[in-house]
Amino acid sequence: MTSFPCQNIATNLGQLFNCSEANGFVRIRTPYLYPDGDVIDLFFKEQEGKGVLTDLGETLRWLDSQTSTKWLSKKQAQFLQDIQLTHGVESYQGMLIARVAEVESLAEVLTRLTQAVMSAADLWFLSRTRVPSLVSDEVADLLEDQNIRFVRNEKQLGRSGRSWRVDFHTWHPQQSSFVQLLSTGSRAAANTKANSAVAAWSDLSHLLAGSSPLRFVSLFDDSADVWTPEVISQLEEFSEVAYWSRPDEFLELLVS
Amino acid sequence: MLSQEEFEEIIADTSKRIDSDITWEADESHALWVKFRVEIVSDNGYPLFIKGNYNQVIQALTFVLVHVGFGRIYGLDLGKDHRNPDGIMIGEKHKHRWSEALRDKQAYVPEDITAPANQPVEVWQQFCLEAAIEHNGTMRPPPAWQPNLFL
Repeated sequence: MTSFPCQNIATNLGQLFNCSEANGFVRIRTPYLYPDGDVIDLFFKEQEGKGVLTDLGETLRWLDSQTSTKWLSKKQAQFLQDIQLTHGVESYQGMLIARVAEVESLAEVLTRLTQAVMSAADLWFLSRTRVPSLVSDEVADLLEDQNIRFVRNEKQLGRSGRSWRVDFHTWHPQQSSFVQLLSTGSRAAANTKANSAVAAWSDLSHLLAGSSPLRFVSLFDDSADVWTPEVISQLEEFSEVAYWSRPDEFLELLVS
Repeated sequence: MLSQEEFEEIIADTSKRIDSDITWEADESHALWVKFRVEIVSDNGYPLFIKGNYNQVIQALTFVLVHVGFGRIYGLDLGKDHRNPDGIMIGEKHKHRWSEALRDKQAYVPEDITAPANQPVEVWQQFCLEAAIEHNGTMRPPPAWQPNLFL
């Protein structure tokens, strides 16, 4: 194990950082933590005379462990690119990497990469289980990308006189639609949401008639396995059904 | 918020099971570590699944029990140190366990895990025991890591 990085870090950053050997790398144990308290380790290696500092994929591995989704969301991926830009780090095969240029000290690069790691780990706050409204934002992003005009959370008056909030009122030259998003991580909440959607569609059904009839679309966030066939069948009686995992089919309903 | 009572009920529920084999997946987007995800079935229908990932370069292994509505509620880390909210360092073998006050930030040393990180199949078997999960299938060993030009 080379003593260079350890001595350099001890001199420039102090004794809060510890070094050890890890499979050909120098493991640098930082005093910083991931949001759950796990310690942030970085790894140093010299290759062809150049120093490379990396997290060896640990940040994305940590993020993967915290979330219910299989991949980073589009928003998380965009923020990750922004973080790389801000801190001047690269992402390669899932690793965050910073090269130690001659003009920089290892301590400076270590500080920069650590900041990037901590910022990337904070993307956890954008995970679905942290912010339930994110799916709704993703739907809005999709509609914007496809140039489909829409209004969010629009109040509509039902035949009973009761007001309902429609998640999205979309407008397209071919068709206007009301979209209710059904998104939850809890099976118990799933039934409640479905019942509410059924009640809304039923009370607003007078809007299906007329010369410019609306289309009702129940959009299921099927990233969680909480929707039973019975619930889906129930909504099919009152609306068109679409799934967030199949955005093309959802869009087709809005524009055809 | 998941109550303590609900969490303890989930952990103690012995009907939790995995009815499939487990295969580790490698991918270019995370070349140094492999992962898997499997659903957990239970008589009470808890929306749970297990995620596992393993960084073979540094021998860091993680198994987490995820509740779809609340995120990680229980998990094992090998090869990574942890600091509890009270400042106590737990060490490179620790389990996170949900609490209402601290969510998943509180960890302890699990005496039941004796296999090392480079034996993920053995670690998995020990993990399932305390978590009361019956695995009706086989976990295949992770694919051997191939060093690339970068490393």
